[in-house]
Amino acid sequence: MTVVRDPARPAIKPAPPTPARRPRRPADAAGTYLLLMTLAVLFAGPFAWLVLAALKTKAEWVALPMKILPEAPQWGNFTRALTEINFPAYLGNSLFLSFVYAILITFSSAVVGFGFARLRGRGKRPLFVLLLSTMMLPQILTLIPTYVLFAQVGLVNTYWPWVLWGLAASPYLVFLFRQFFAAIPAELEDAAIIDGCGYGRIFIRIFLPLSRPVLLTSFLLSFTWIWGDYIAPALLLDPDHTTLSVAISAFYRDPHGNPDATVQAAAATLYVIPVVVIFLFAQRYFIRGVVSSGVKG
Amino acid sequence: MFYLFVSPWVLGFVLLTALPLGYALLVSFTNFNGVSSRWRWVGTRNYTELVRDTDAISSLMRTLAFTAISVPLMVAGGLGLAVLLNRRLKAVGLFRTIFFLPSVVPVVAMAIMWKLIFNRDGGILNAILEKISIGPIAWLVDPNAFYALIILTLWGLGGGMVIMLAALQGVPVELEEAAVVDGANRWHVFRHVTVPMISPIIFFQIVTGIIASFQIVIQPLLLAETNQVGAVAQVPQSTHLYMVQVYQEFFANNRYGYGSAMLWVFFLVILTITLLVQRSSRLWVHYQVDSEAER
Repeated sequence: MTVVRDPARPAIKPAPPTPARRPRRPADAAGTYLLLMTLAVLFAGPFAWLVLAALKTKAEWVALPMKILPEAPQWGNFTRALTEINFPAYLGNSLFLSFVYAILITFSSAVVGFGFARLRGRGKRPLFVLLLSTMMLPQILTLIPTYVLFAQVGLVNTYWPWVLWGLAASPYLVFLFRQFFAAIPAELEDAAIIDGCGYGRIFIRIFLPLSRPVLLTSFLLSFTWIWGDYIAPALLLDPDHTTLSVAISAFYRDPHGNPDATVQAAAATLYVIPVVVIFLFAQRYFIRGVVSSGVKG
Repeated sequence: MFYLFVSPWVLGFVLLTALPLGYALLVSFTNFNGVSSRWRWVGTRNYTELVRDTDAISSLMRTLAFTAISVPLMVAGGLGLAVLLNRRLKAVGLFRTIFFLPSVVPVVAMAIMWKLIFNRDGGILNAILEKISIGPIAWLVDPNAFYALIILTLWGLGGGMVIMLAALQGVPVELEEAAVVDGANRWHVFRHVTVPMISPIIFFQIVTGIIASFQIVIQPLLLAETNQVGAVAQVPQSTHLYMVQVYQEFFANNRYGYGSAMLWVFFLVILTITLLVQRSSRLWVHYQVDSEAER
């Protein structure tokens, strides 16, 4: 596999203008921009429509002919989103689970990644191949039987499953750490070994501090996995202990039991904002994570 | 030392992946219903029933069709956007952000957003179509729900785009220049230089795309008109994919044994398809021999 660079940074070899990449005629560039802008509207549209729906009255939402903009922004929808269901409690559950899981899995994956990158043992290669092939295993296949097993040992409606999943390391993050650790010069640990340092201390004192960007990437990615996960909390947690994702998908009802679209839109906006904000500030880390997952030869 | 360091993953694999899969295999030979302790072994009955279960078979066919349509669109779309952005244009970063952002939106929010768009009366899609005298179309019921699901899936193709973009940036500029010097036009350079160079990445995208597509279960559940948790009955036929059927057998019909058999059959189907794609890759994936691969 060729070396793949973080696209958020300039390429290591700054591409000189080449015939293949440089738009040759002004009309060419204008056409490209027009296409890009049309696509941008399509990709950003759903966000805009969500916020607009969140600011409409119920009557405006179903009005015919349709009103694109609300007469007056209904900020009350947001207040109702926060109070109609126990939003703070679900938010707390989501934050707690995402945080605990992200911390645990980042640490456990770093440990395993260090093992695969820097240590020797019989069967290391087949184990690594097994690790990579489990990335190909659809998680949904194991999730339902795992739920059945957890139900038998009384782990349903507790937060222990997330602790266990967190401790078990993620193949994908292991790979991320392994690639990073493998690139660190051996002189560093050789010197530490001569100084009488064990591998545990080398890992904690030398490798972890060096890998701050990867730690952050791993934390952010795994945090958003749990924040965005629906099926595990839907299966494992009862409605009082579940996460925000399950709560906003189903708990907003008008008195007739129908989905309360505008209030739900407000809740969904509040639910997406943290992800979007984290993403915008840490785009580089997200892209690094996504790219390294997609580019193993 | 090595074993100590990798033990979290090894234990996790044994307890949280291998054990559940093995357990499902055992359960697939029983009539377990999830609660009662009065289950018994039924041999291969679940499997023989599955072969004749027209609902299950048609949901499998639907899943294959969905995959066959959505994966090529995802991969081609991701590559197309990456090619558009792999140029020296102003505001490329802004466009990349806009295209990538949807792929980080949680599935629940995604479903809510698209339900607002596909809504028959309040949705903007029908409002736009009405301007050109089409509709109103009921998007979330048969047979349109299938296309709605594809559109929702395609919205997230930005994740693939950034991978393709990284791959494109890894293509040596000299190669493309050489082709141009030899008189190749832009399309030829793309087709005969760029695509072969990034074919390992395209291949990987196809494999992960297929696997992701097979797993789809939450989106149809959440897009269904009312989304009471587990209200599988509301899912329209056209988005009743295989995993939705599995979900239904487990949680609506309490047929854990049968559902487990369905999971195992699916596991084997996915394995077979992945291996077939792997086989086909020899014909068209171009691997560079380089020192990086020889780690």
